[in-house]
Amino acid sequence: MRLSSDKVKILARRRGESISALLARAGVSRTAFYSLARRRSVLPGTVAALASALDVSELDLLESKPEPDADPQRRVREARAIVRGRPGATFENVWHALCLLALDPLERLNRSLIRGRATALHE
Amino acid sequence: MAVPPPFTNKELAFLRVLVREGVEFLVVGLAAAALQGAPAVTQDVDLWFRDLQDPRLHRALRKAGVTYIPPSMENPPLLAGGGAELFDVVTHMHGLEPFAEEAPRALKLKIGRTTVPVLPLERIIASKKATDRPKDRAILPALEDTLATLRSLDGKGSNRS
Repeated sequence: MRLSSDKVKILARRRGESISALLARAGVSRTAFYSLARRRSVLPGTVAALASALDVSELDLLESKPEPDADPQRRVREARAIVRGRPGATFENVWHALCLLALDPLERLNRSLIRGRATALHE
Repeated sequence: MAVPPPFTNKELAFLRVLVREGVEFLVVGLAAAALQGAPAVTQDVDLWFRDLQDPRLHRALRKAGVTYIPPSMENPPLLAGGGAELFDVVTHMHGLEPFAEEAPRALKLKIGRTTVPVLPLERIIASKKATDRPKDRAILPALEDTLATLRSLDGKGSNRS
């Protein structure tokens, strides 16, 4: 099992926290974090510290196989998998939610308000 | 001329004052849904206050330079001045428990430098279903798909590999 840096980042962003702030709060150095994310296995203590800081299970931060580099195709696959697991779900909704969840909450709100204000201009 | 950000510093400052003064409130509605990743469109940020007579609220409003306009026959309660026009005051959420029961379930999300209580997406969906206006029915699929996405990311009931 290896540490998924992407999962840690997504969970941190969902809490509105930067990766630096999370690592400081968890007592894990940036060097240690990125070093661990490159290894094939991780020390339980480090994962436990991060999981505790994020209030999730250690399993939520692990992946059993190397994760490919972040790219749109991976997000497409992720969206498709979610849609398959939820009959009636719309790919576009899931895709946009995944894109928005990669942002911090303020940016999500800004995008929502941008659209609202842009629409109002044309009413 | 520089274009101001959609959510301005004054609006951020207003939320910060509410939190600092200990005002009991929740961000609700589509802004709350958007904060949780929903691809939703909104023109305002709904704030649900536990008690509109709370002295802490009125102290916060004074500090932020915001005027509270009480409800009348013609209008709901309003906030004016101090950059608070974006915020709508909510006094009741259809389909939900009273504020005191919903507040402990709130998510704590960081907006800028301020951690703000936000109604969870599950409860926003419950409220939209109860309100059941055409615009509520229209947005429900996007909210429910976002919830499915969140649950999948959390590994709580879907097939994230």
